[in-house]
Amino acid sequence: MIDQLKQLRQHLLTGVSYAIPFVACGGILIAAALAFAPLNPQSNAPDPGNVPVLMFLLKLGVLSFKLMLPILAAYISYSIAGKPGLVAGAIGGFLCNDLRVLAFFPDPGKQELSAGFLGAIVAGLLAGYTVALIKTIPTHRLIRPVMPILIIPIVSTIFVGAVMMLVLGPPIVGLMAWLTHELDNMQTGNAVVLAAVIGGMIAFDMGGPVNKVAFFFSAGLIEKGNCLPMGACAAAICTPPLGMGLATLLGRKLWSEEERDSGLAALGMGTIGITEGAIPFAAADPLRVIPCLMGGSIVASVTAMLGKVGDHAPHGGPIVLPVVDNRVMYIVAILAGTLTTALLINTIKALAKAQAAPEASE
Amino acid sequence: MKIVAVTACPTGIAHTYMAAEQLEKAARSLGHQIKLETQGAMGIENELTAADVRNADLVIFAVDIEVEKKDRFEGKKILKVGVGEAIKNPAAVLARAGA
Repeated sequence: MIDQLKQLRQHLLTGVSYAIPFVACGGILIAAALAFAPLNPQSNAPDPGNVPVLMFLLKLGVLSFKLMLPILAAYISYSIAGKPGLVAGAIGGFLCNDLRVLAFFPDPGKQELSAGFLGAIVAGLLAGYTVALIKTIPTHRLIRPVMPILIIPIVSTIFVGAVMMLVLGPPIVGLMAWLTHELDNMQTGNAVVLAAVIGGMIAFDMGGPVNKVAFFFSAGLIEKGNCLPMGACAAAICTPPLGMGLATLLGRKLWSEEERDSGLAALGMGTIGITEGAIPFAAADPLRVIPCLMGGSIVASVTAMLGKVGDHAPHGGPIVLPVVDNRVMYIVAILAGTLTTALLINTIKALAKAQAAPEASE
Repeated sequence: MKIVAVTACPTGIAHTYMAAEQLEKAARSLGHQIKLETQGAMGIENELTAADVRNADLVIFAVDIEVEKKDRFEGKKILKVGVGEAIKNPAAVLARAGA
């Protein structure tokens, strides 16, 4: 059972490893387009509409984001079933951008039916296990050569497409809509609670599914003209790697030479808004590290929310500073979160060491 | 002893290469021959050839994600560990592999 869960985690991480460049590239292109855009006097938000070069960058960035879901699902499926799994995974993932691309019913409605990141994970797993199952069917040697390039992709694509469209897609779309609605309600009720939830989710799995739900929720609200959740999100995104990096600098004796190297790499990744930089620390000691990361990110997101930090680009970290409103508070939020994580983990490590020492000498 | 190893982590920027470096150092200090293939964000680097794999006494995967071109290793006994383990304690990983 544990082995199977490990396998599953490995498949998901494989998909994520191929999708990361698409998120980073898309996020930074969009951030760049908005950073140089003139302010729209009516909405007081950056508006690249009249600058062709910026629109070009913006559209490329959006395209990169749209490709992220098919790439994620395709490579989850690839990890499970190899090359024959790519097609069904990619198409299943692409569907998750908006189920209406398959809308053969008369009135698809104006509302986007996005199954998002969660949908793409489900589509990738479904495609992978379907193809893996088909591969176990014994075939005659005459049709064996056409199995991987013709029969398996066609059969699995029809199956995955139908299941996503009719069975699994709608409830996931509903779940995402419900989640967005709930977070949306919270936002009118209590912005600080919302920021804390976003911060905790961002740090919880460092770029994994929980992180991406919070990220896409916040990024989605930018379009609706509310940049505050993304501001909280952006501050929370970079503090896990920055905090671990700072911890290795502050408490040199607590960390091995390799961990200190790892810490420097984490600082670099934190600066460009890649939460995944904290993964090696969390993987090595999850029970101690993850709560410290979440603590720091929550401090950062709540500080950002209180300081009315708005972020106009779907990306986080110090690198988006040019497109952030209330820049001073953004920096304060990041520093506060980073310090919190670093001090928490170093204190816990020092205590653990002090406890372990007498036991070892007995 | 001849060892071949593959390292790969989800982001593929830093830890893939750190694990490779640690394994290489540890293996060299024990007097073994080792060839490391890294599967990072740049793709496969220092790729292991069929002959490398055939002649190897030990195969180690230090990975958190699926290994690319896995069919090269068919029929070989493989020790699989996480990237973090190889970075933190490469000597123990080698010992477990039987080096």
